[in-house]
Amino acid sequence: MPRKITNSLLLTIALALSAITCFGQSTTGTVSVSATVSKFVEINSGGAVTLTGNSGGGVTTDGVANSPLAVAINLGELGPGNTNNFVTAQVPLKLRSNAAYVLSMTATVTSSGTTANRIGAADVGFGLGTVSRTGAGVNTAGADTNATSGDPTLAANGSVNGTSGRYEFTAVRSNLSAFTSATTALSGPFIMNAVPRSNGNGLTVPAFFAIKPQFFENGTTTISVTFTVTAP
Amino acid sequence: MMRPIVRLSHLTCSLLAMVTLLAIAESVSAQALDISSGGQPTITGAVNGSVTGSASVLNDLIVTVNFGEVSPLNTNPIVKVVVPIALRSNQPYQVSVSVSGISNANGEGLQASDVGFGLQNLRLLGGAGQTCNQSTHLIRSPFNNDPAASATVGTNGRVAYPSSLANFSGSTIILSGPELSKNNSSKRQQSDGWIFDAILTITPQFFTAGTSSATLIFTIAPGPNVPC
Repeated sequence: MPRKITNSLLLTIALALSAITCFGQSTTGTVSVSATVSKFVEINSGGAVTLTGNSGGGVTTDGVANSPLAVAINLGELGPGNTNNFVTAQVPLKLRSNAAYVLSMTATVTSSGTTANRIGAADVGFGLGTVSRTGAGVNTAGADTNATSGDPTLAANGSVNGTSGRYEFTAVRSNLSAFTSATTALSGPFIMNAVPRSNGNGLTVPAFFAIKPQFFENGTTTISVTFTVTAP
Repeated sequence: MMRPIVRLSHLTCSLLAMVTLLAIAESVSAQALDISSGGQPTITGAVNGSVTGSASVLNDLIVTVNFGEVSPLNTNPIVKVVVPIALRSNQPYQVSVSVSGISNANGEGLQASDVGFGLQNLRLLGGAGQTCNQSTHLIRSPFNNDPAASATVGTNGRVAYPSSLANFSGSTIILSGPELSKNNSSKRQQSDGWIFDAILTITPQFFTAGTSSATLIFTIAPGPNVPC
């Protein structure tokens, strides 16, 4: 009998303790916090296109700074009727990233001509100009690698072929024949410090496209260029 | 009359004594100091984010916040989390917070200063919450703000808040005041204290890629002896 009483008491105590625990109060509480930052890269227009040396033609769809890059340019007359040294289009690009980036480019050139004298990819000079990392929120310490030879109209980047007489862009990655498949044009470390996307600054670089007016086969030519930026 | 008592085992006597002491202790400590959930926490502006916690003021404060994506992939202006917290006491109190776990050696990574923190909307939890006339509840500086409404962009282009997780050094007092409850119950009740909103924010920015986490421990303790 005493054992039964003891057991009953133990049960009562256990129930009481359980009840106290269930309705118990606490002097502490916990809030656990987590967040994720993924790699981010983007390319936009760096501003208005500059077209020089053209005869006829013009900028059909201009670039608007910080808007998606989608410009259309009519280079005008590219035969000897255009007496300028070069027809040059300068397209400002703006890149932003929170990680190391690679800018690659793919180009296609299609002409209506049927002979070797038609305009081909090698006749379209290309290069990236001076890279600028300026403004609040930009990682100004970053060093970028320009895989092109810069302004294709520079004397060092091209000349008349002594045998064929045709003008050629001869420097490394100085014409669109080097970009028939996705090829790196520029790379570097992260561009933006920890600032909101509403910050309008970034890395800007001009993309030069140039054609030397020559006795090309008459016809029309379409040049399509796609820039892609990635964070490998 | 004495013989039955004498026959009780020592164990039984001890247990009876424990029960008595527990009852006394419970009576003395009833409604002393308590912190719990103040309601359902909410999150806005998140991409792949979430917040979990009890909607009942009777449950412990255990909240898990996932801000989700806070790179520019999240195009919302800010990610805001509101965590209601309930307090009960029959004496002057203070609430302190200690923060651990958030550190990033890369200055462009998410830092404690990038997580805004503030207190707002101190309000009664029902009719049994105590309203004192001689003292007020004091949100300690600099935490009396809604960081989502008071974020600014610094000269370096980074978003800053009047108060953030960087303002916590050890256990930091964020709130204090007079007693919070009218009754003296040993149990949490639906309407016997005060509630405030703890607000946490992150503005999506070009942070260095990675994941970050932190733990905030809220503690209620006896506070400065102010009259009710």
